[in-house]
Amino acid sequence: MKKLLLALSLLAGMAQAEDVLHVYNWNNYIAPETVKRFEKECKCRVVQDYYGAMEEMLAKLAAGAKGYDIVVPTGFAIPPLVKQNLTQPLDKAKVPNLKNVNAAFLNTEFDKGNIYSAPYSFTTTLVGYNDKKIKELGIDATSWAVIFDPKVLAKIKGKVTVLDDSRELFAAALMYNGYSANSTNPAEWKKAAETIKAAKPYWAAFNTQSYIKELTVGNIWVAHGYSNDMFQANQDTKAAKRPFGIGYGLQKQGNTLSLDSMVVLKNAPRPDLAHRFINFMLDGKNSSELTNMIGSGNPNAAAAQFVQPEIKKISAVFPDANSMKGLQQLKDLQGKQLRDLNRLWTEVKTAK
Amino acid sequence: MNNRLAKWLISGPPLLYLLLFFAIPSAIMAFAAFRFPGDYGGLLPLVEVNPETGAREVLINFGNYADFLTWENFQRFFEEPIYIELFLKSFWYAGITTGVCIVLAYPLAWLIARSSKKTRDLLVLMVILPFWSNFLIRVYAWMIILGPQSYFSQVLNRVLAVFGIEPVSLLFSQFAVIIGLVYVHLPFMVLPLYANLEKHDMALLDAAQDLGANAWQRFWKVTWPLSLPGVWAGTALVFIPALGMFAIPDLLGGTNSMMIGNLIKQQFLDSRDWPFGSVLSIMLTLSVLLMAAIAAWAGSRGKAKK
Amino acid sequence: MKKVSNWVWACAALVYAFLYLPLIIVVLFSFNDSNLNAEWVGFTFKWYEMLLQDEVMIEAAMHTLIIGFITCIVATVLGTLAGFAMYKWRLRLLPALVLTPIAIPEILMGVALLIFFVMLNMTLGLVSITLSHIAFCIGFVAIVVRSRLQGMDESLVEAARDLGASPITAFRAITLPLIMPGIIAGALMAFTLSIDDFVISFFTAGVGSNTLPLEIYSRVKVPMKLNPEVNAVSTLLMLLTLSLILVVSKVAPSALRAGD
Repeated sequence: MKKLLLALSLLAGMAQAEDVLHVYNWNNYIAPETVKRFEKECKCRVVQDYYGAMEEMLAKLAAGAKGYDIVVPTGFAIPPLVKQNLTQPLDKAKVPNLKNVNAAFLNTEFDKGNIYSAPYSFTTTLVGYNDKKIKELGIDATSWAVIFDPKVLAKIKGKVTVLDDSRELFAAALMYNGYSANSTNPAEWKKAAETIKAAKPYWAAFNTQSYIKELTVGNIWVAHGYSNDMFQANQDTKAAKRPFGIGYGLQKQGNTLSLDSMVVLKNAPRPDLAHRFINFMLDGKNSSELTNMIGSGNPNAAAAQFVQPEIKKISAVFPDANSMKGLQQLKDLQGKQLRDLNRLWTEVKTAK
Repeated sequence: MNNRLAKWLISGPPLLYLLLFFAIPSAIMAFAAFRFPGDYGGLLPLVEVNPETGAREVLINFGNYADFLTWENFQRFFEEPIYIELFLKSFWYAGITTGVCIVLAYPLAWLIARSSKKTRDLLVLMVILPFWSNFLIRVYAWMIILGPQSYFSQVLNRVLAVFGIEPVSLLFSQFAVIIGLVYVHLPFMVLPLYANLEKHDMALLDAAQDLGANAWQRFWKVTWPLSLPGVWAGTALVFIPALGMFAIPDLLGGTNSMMIGNLIKQQFLDSRDWPFGSVLSIMLTLSVLLMAAIAAWAGSRGKAKK
Repeated sequence: MKKVSNWVWACAALVYAFLYLPLIIVVLFSFNDSNLNAEWVGFTFKWYEMLLQDEVMIEAAMHTLIIGFITCIVATVLGTLAGFAMYKWRLRLLPALVLTPIAIPEILMGVALLIFFVMLNMTLGLVSITLSHIAFCIGFVAIVVRSRLQGMDESLVEAARDLGASPITAFRAITLPLIMPGIIAGALMAFTLSIDDFVISFFTAGVGSNTLPLEIYSRVKVPMKLNPEVNAVSTLLMLLTLSLILVVSKVAPSALRAGD
């Protein structure tokens, strides 16, 4: 106890002298090594907070969270941030490395001219699975049926998790029903909600955060989640010498692609550090580390040469031109649409 | 010193503080239930900063109140059966929790009340002690015990396998939620029950025995009715907090173990629908008041009988 | 005295086991040389060592202590005033405001305060958490102090007044020393409640203001790695509250029960 108190008082002294950058990022979306190197370079401390869903991040900011310097929203979450006047324009003179970004990922409809956002990395949302179990049970994981069709689910009841994320889960259910992931047609939404409700009794949990571990340990056999997380889970099973691996691939009905970008918040306490961090992350070498360590897709052209060739070959991480066709980015919802979706979400979460 | 002045000087500071940080926030929350959600969360603003002049403009007035105030959030609560069902389910969880707590607490309280004075204090302390460890730690402990790799789960599933029953997963289930709720609230039932049992006149039980009543009859006809005020006090202390719990279903529950608290939390920290969250909070408050009134009424009725 | 039957003893023993087993497991696993929380592998201190180097956890502990101290001081002053006022005069509003926060589920207060702070455009953080903690601790202190006053022999104060002491002198010389154990117990209780609080902190915390319970929650909720560290911090936290309780039980044994 004494030792602890001593450590506490020491730290209290230290904390004041330090420069601190607050990053609010997706969980499991940066390699600890990268953070350490940035801390060394800027002689500052990076304090991270994590979210598992865009809604969670937007709700937190709407509920008055202040003090973050950087957030990493997916495309569709950029307009709400901008419209709420929560962001500040990037000082492009301070982020020369923005030129490294592949032109295909710049100037998106969410932020024309990249006034506010600098692409960080991208992921696809898909199904990851315990390859041994899925093979044993003869289940086809290339269709969304694996998380939505009660007939398929009957074989893996209680061994499935889906994202606790209204947009992603509804997008998957919409695509499973043959609709666009960006449909705003109330009838189609209703159908998607029915699909979710019918499948829900078979799921173990809505999970955005711990499915990597659950897959690795073997508690869960099928998880709806992000490509980089599945990559991670597969690495972890290898490291832990598990008798199975984690397979993952795109679904034939289509998947969502999330381009996540770094944004400096308007009331950022340290915009200077924030810009340095962004520029640091856009450096080819640093950006490639992200891909090599956590298996995220990389929008950075300068990073391409450093990315391990095995990772480049994984189509769920780096989709080729053909699989690109099946990928959609989610669009921003507004006002009534958002409220309607939130209501449906509450309904499916509450339903038996 | 002037008595009136003293009264204000002494009761003023805490009164002001609680008005500011409890009464007013509660009133604002009640008011929020009648407002529209903002486009990106929070509430639709009543005051707007004019972009040209920079001046603050009040948007609401008597003429346009319908643009800002609405019954819609309440309508939604009553129109969709799922919300009422969720309330009933939460009542059900809290009710089972209370029932299990009574069953578990009774022998304990009885033992404590019948022990010698010295052991009594120790036994009471032993009930309170775990309750002083952090609430989350107590819940977390059950995550370990009920987890699929735990000895407990493995042994249980092996036993089930003998009977040809498929393995069950204990964690992330309604069962786990109830265990968590019981574990966290048990002391609240033991203590009032013990305080009540301690006061019982043992001569009554002896008299009953002399009249030929067996142990069960003695309990059911004498002890139980006399202990009702204690049971009701414990019920209020267990039922009400259990009703508003969100962390336990969050940590121990699966996809089907949501309670009112989780729904409220979801409206504020996920769906960005504050007005509906406020409606749910008001409904929870009303439920709590109702329960408290029932417990108080039943408790006092028990006392009157005695 | 009637003998308690063996059945009751057995049942009670089982319930005690139910109460203690989980906590014993947490403590045991904090010394377990495995990060799976599943089976006993071997004895180790490494989770405690890791804890001492875990800046995030230590910062959270700092926040918890700071909030706890400030809450303790302010809530004790306000709560003592409230307890005294409630004892001395027949008041309506104050008792209602003091007792309601204790009676209602915490989530209601958390949500109301969240709306309130956001409406005031206040930055959520240590300040908002502390203000909220004070609000719910006042009641507990007030109850303890009032019950202590009710147990006090009023004739002592009257005697002092008869001997010519002013009300203030009588209060300082007689009442205050007599209710001091109650005040100390109330203060310790406020401190314990504050360092223990999860729900209200959950709604009123902001960026970089995680308290220990919030940090524990986020790690337990996202069981990625480092879980045994949670066991270690839990064990330390239990030790801390345990020692606080021992102090309370020495100072004012009755206070232990008054809070329940």
